[in-house]
Amino acid sequence: MLKFIIKKLLMMIPMLLIISFIVYYGLQLTGIDPINFMVSPEMLSSNKENVEALRESLGLNDPLIVQYFRWLGNILHGDLGYSFDGSSIASVIAVRLPYTFELAGYSLLFSTIIGIGIGIISAVRQNGIIDYVGRVLAVLGQAVPQFLVGIILIQVFSIKLGWFPASNRVSPDATSAFADAFFHLFLPVLTLTIGMVAVLMRYARNTMLDVLNSDYIKTARSKGIPEWKVYLKHGFRNAMKPVLVILVFRIPALIGGSVVIETVFSYPGIGLTMTNAIVSGDYPVVLVTTLIIAATMLICSFMVDVFNALLDPRVRLGE
Amino acid sequence: MGETTSIKDSNKSASSSLFKRNVRKFMNNKLAVLGLVIIVVITIACVIGMIVGVDYGTPVITDMKQAPGNGHFFGTDTIGRDLFARVLVGGCYSILIGAFCAIMSSVIGAILGALAGYFGGKVDMVLIRISEIFQAFPQLVLVMMLVAIVNKRGLGNLLFIFVFTGWMTTFRMVRNEFMSLKNETYVKVCEAFGMKKSNIMFKQILPNVMSPIIVSTTTNVAFFILQEAALSFIGLGVADSTPTWGNILNAAKSVSVVTNQWWIWVFPGLAISLFVLAINFFGDGLRDVLDAKQQ
Repeated sequence: MLKFIIKKLLMMIPMLLIISFIVYYGLQLTGIDPINFMVSPEMLSSNKENVEALRESLGLNDPLIVQYFRWLGNILHGDLGYSFDGSSIASVIAVRLPYTFELAGYSLLFSTIIGIGIGIISAVRQNGIIDYVGRVLAVLGQAVPQFLVGIILIQVFSIKLGWFPASNRVSPDATSAFADAFFHLFLPVLTLTIGMVAVLMRYARNTMLDVLNSDYIKTARSKGIPEWKVYLKHGFRNAMKPVLVILVFRIPALIGGSVVIETVFSYPGIGLTMTNAIVSGDYPVVLVTTLIIAATMLICSFMVDVFNALLDPRVRLGE
Repeated sequence: MGETTSIKDSNKSASSSLFKRNVRKFMNNKLAVLGLVIIVVITIACVIGMIVGVDYGTPVITDMKQAPGNGHFFGTDTIGRDLFARVLVGGCYSILIGAFCAIMSSVIGAILGALAGYFGGKVDMVLIRISEIFQAFPQLVLVMMLVAIVNKRGLGNLLFIFVFTGWMTTFRMVRNEFMSLKNETYVKVCEAFGMKKSNIMFKQILPNVMSPIIVSTTTNVAFFILQEAALSFIGLGVADSTPTWGNILNAAKSVSVVTNQWWIWVFPGLAISLFVLAINFFGDGLRDVLDAKQQ
């Protein structure tokens, strides 16, 4: 098992290197010159030697590969560099990354509980009222764009009813940190949760139905085990594994979704940072944010592999 | 000679009766038929709007933010352009983006998947690694990154980026199917006769994988329309001069529009949701008909 984990961990390093190089190289291709952001245009034209000296001292004339490894070295020392507007990227990320983790984490938690809950109830009470409502919600949840759901929620809950703020994460006059977090997170988390529940619910329902129709459930019933116990002990446990796997497949969609939702709610997380950086052409920030997202994704898929191997010995032996 | 034609004839009649049975099965699925009808109606309406040449681009300063009615069926947007015309023409572009990207990414995914699955070994390993690098990003983030790299907003660039980032799921599916199908007897027979590899791959094996490809292409149309809408909403999609359902909705980024001019976001929002819903119904119906495992 340890060997399996180490092997998977080591596989992540070349992947990150390749990805970071491709992104670095790609952003170089855009031809945006950082000097233009550091020196005023008059200086650029009048004071050519000094600009050239600055360029040389910053290492911008070195071959691309040298620049890449210098940048990589800095990152490994914890120096994420500076954005074009002069602020330290590390300090921006340190504030905003936890916000995004909050948003994504709560959405994952709630959508899992609700999605699996409704899915299982719909499977057990097939064609009941919850099954019917759930199916309609699943169909709608997949058809309405997520950001539109966000807009509708803003319209209803913050403009019409005034219960929740429509944007931002922290209010300047907050008295309790918990209440502040709750009010600002409620709508964005709800928006992401609705989108995720739609898929998860459908999948949990189908998996549970498959399990309930299998022979060992009939055996359990025929042994006279109470119905609730059949569902929980024999049904639920066996239905869980494929559902948990699909849950992890949802993580990319969750991260992608949070990029959009952060824009809808002006929520100052990594996604909004990245979107704004792309719009304004702030490439050092684009580089760091994409790498953070890629690293998060790789760590998630690593955890899935380990988790799967723990649950199912065949995966380990197959490797 | 006579015998071969009769076999061909009987094959033909068998396949046409299979086709008839499939059509009948599809027609029994009311939701799927409804989906198809909605798709056709919306598409035709948008295309007619485009052909008639409705005026979607001229801002009329005196008519800004008009509510529906009064000569403007859906009202007007923040700079006084007729919203009904914009939704119609925007529909043309959105549907075009969805259909083009879904078909092209399926074609690329199918070709690469066929190569990887049939040849295996090194080809397979390289292609799988490439697809893994692509999948290290959420697709939307990958698209945003490419938008940053291409550094120009336009319909052509967007189509390219969507196709470039959208082939992986079809690739995986086709590859896995090919891996199992290449050991079937009929493939071995073709190989023994010395048939060309490209013929075996695309004329013999591929037709057996067509059903899932068709179904996933259909649902991908909806996926790409939603993807374009999200991208345009955050301001990284097609420029405003080419309307799409997504960039009409971009106006809803402003809270005052969300509060005071509901028609600016409700109508394009309804159009997208209805169309995507219809595609999902249609795709589900198609899956029921085409999925051999269920029959």
